[in-house]
Amino acid sequence: MSSFLLYVGFGLVSASILCISAIGFTLQFGISNLFNLAFGSTMTAGAFVAYIANSNGLNIWPSLVLGAAGAALLSLFISRTIYAPFKGRVKSLFTLIMVTLGVGIILQYTMEAIWGANNVSYNMAVGRSVHVAGMIFTSTQLVVIGIAAAVSLAMHSLLKYTRVGKAMRAIAVNERLARNCGISVRRVTDYTWLLSGALSGLAGGALVMDVQILNFGTGDGFLILIVAAAVLGGIGSPYGAMLGALIIGVSSEVAAGFINPAFKTVTAFIVLGLVLLVRPTGVVSSIASAKEVAR
Amino acid sequence: MSSAWQFYVATLLVYAFVYIIAVTGLNLQFGVTGIYNFAFIMFQACGAYTTAVLTLGRSTKSFQHFILGYSLPFPIPLIASGLVSGALGLVVGALTVRRLRADYLAIVMLVVSLIATALTTDATGLFNGAQGLALIPQPFASITSSTIAYNWLYVGFAGLVCVGTCLAVRRVIGSPLGRALRAVRENDAAASALGKNVTALRLGMFAAGGCIAGLSGSVLVGFIQVWSPSSWLYGETFVLFTALVVGGAASNLGPVVGAVIVPVGLAEGTRYLPQIGAPTLVPSLEWIVIGVMLLLFLWFWPGGIVPERKRKFPQTEPRKTASHILVELPNDGLQPGAVPVREATRR
Repeated sequence: MSSFLLYVGFGLVSASILCISAIGFTLQFGISNLFNLAFGSTMTAGAFVAYIANSNGLNIWPSLVLGAAGAALLSLFISRTIYAPFKGRVKSLFTLIMVTLGVGIILQYTMEAIWGANNVSYNMAVGRSVHVAGMIFTSTQLVVIGIAAAVSLAMHSLLKYTRVGKAMRAIAVNERLARNCGISVRRVTDYTWLLSGALSGLAGGALVMDVQILNFGTGDGFLILIVAAAVLGGIGSPYGAMLGALIIGVSSEVAAGFINPAFKTVTAFIVLGLVLLVRPTGVVSSIASAKEVAR
Repeated sequence: MSSAWQFYVATLLVYAFVYIIAVTGLNLQFGVTGIYNFAFIMFQACGAYTTAVLTLGRSTKSFQHFILGYSLPFPIPLIASGLVSGALGLVVGALTVRRLRADYLAIVMLVVSLIATALTTDATGLFNGAQGLALIPQPFASITSSTIAYNWLYVGFAGLVCVGTCLAVRRVIGSPLGRALRAVRENDAAASALGKNVTALRLGMFAAGGCIAGLSGSVLVGFIQVWSPSSWLYGETFVLFTALVVGGAASNLGPVVGAVIVPVGLAEGTRYLPQIGAPTLVPSLEWIVIGVMLLLFLWFWPGGIVPERKRKFPQTEPRKTASHILVELPNDGLQPGAVPVREATRR
């Protein structure tokens, strides 16, 4: 039992990072109706911005904020200069997904061209370990969990109580109707990409703080878990993303602890596969159904 | 030609043929039928693995783990690769029985591809983990002992498989079956309404495309003699899709042009560039060029270099309203009503 709790603890840490990023990924799908496969690369970019600030002597936490800001601007830039024009020009879903994949590849290998394939890590103290109810965390990990909880709460309040948040929900369910009701889709889309970009940068930084390794492929390697969490929870739904992150994060760590560490990612995917077979739209399926991802 | 050059050219040709086979298979799935199979490279890897375990024999089991371990003579492993990959195509294709939105299917396929990579890397007993398999025997080693002659022989073999595949796919594209597949691509609901079994057609193309990918994997692994999961990552699928977009999807010549330009031309064209900066700089620039090329083609030439020739049918004249007639009448002083409507619409 005690070792079970221990693995759940590890799972909570990965679930937290997954949660921050999956919310961003799923928001982008909800608003812009595209799977942004460049998300992993903006994560890495944010982590690298944080790395530059950190290696120039700044403390890790302000560096993390800078990284989030950098990734936010980058995401907005990509959305405005590439995705939006393509969406206006072509209707083919294939074109859009290939565009995001292409942008991701360009970003990722631009970073490799600049920083090389070497691993770097942040200059930070991991902090002493803390025991909580049978689980062991470093204080950094506790802060990461705290950030994820705060992001989830903030997202809930944003979507529930603010005009921008309500506009986002409206656009996600029916863009044309939202436009006809006087919502400025363009502006809300920009806000969404800023916000989701910031989340990607934050998650990228948090991921590197947790695993202590950063290279040009860090975010891209993590992307597939993000996709799994978002799809499992129901693509387009932020609450689904939180739930999916929790399921994927905890189940993969528990399986890694109890069965075989090698099956960590495989377990996550098997859970996803089972859910997709039974319910292709994911657990929280309102937006996924509105967008007819599965008939 | 010096022997080094001969070796280089022969290798290049084998790679070109393998890529052409693979892109042709992808063309059947994506170009013609409109299936976004982002796990395509998995089928090539599967074919390669099948050939490996059917030819490796038991002798190399002392240092690597794999299943079966027969040493079957030449054509059997090639055929088995096609069959096994085709069967895998059927299994994976079953995911599409629930009709998923095209890009959602692509995402699901991407996840499938990564599951496969994770599984092959982690299941060391089955696939020897990340190290992969080595010392896979050459299929025609008994015919000639000269390396150069052997390589040219292999070029001929790869070329034969390639031409055979291209001709077969060409036949399919031009046949009534090809028409039905294009109907599924353009509008599956309409195709279904006309009595086409959309699910069966999709499944069939999953199997056929998988089979072709398996053949390409078998040809490749017989030449390079090693197999490892890291050579078949999903980035390779991206390269194949880019090749198809650049060459021109759903045309007969498009896959050939695309395969020669993108994977072969770009990867090999940069080989003799002097090393600038870090050793990873040139490969990463290569990827950037592929990405930029994809975006440029999707924006400016979405049909690719050899676009699909769409059949044109004579348009039935649209019904014109009175306002159309008024606008189109020559200004000859007649009243609008003076020209019979039938005549006006015939212009």
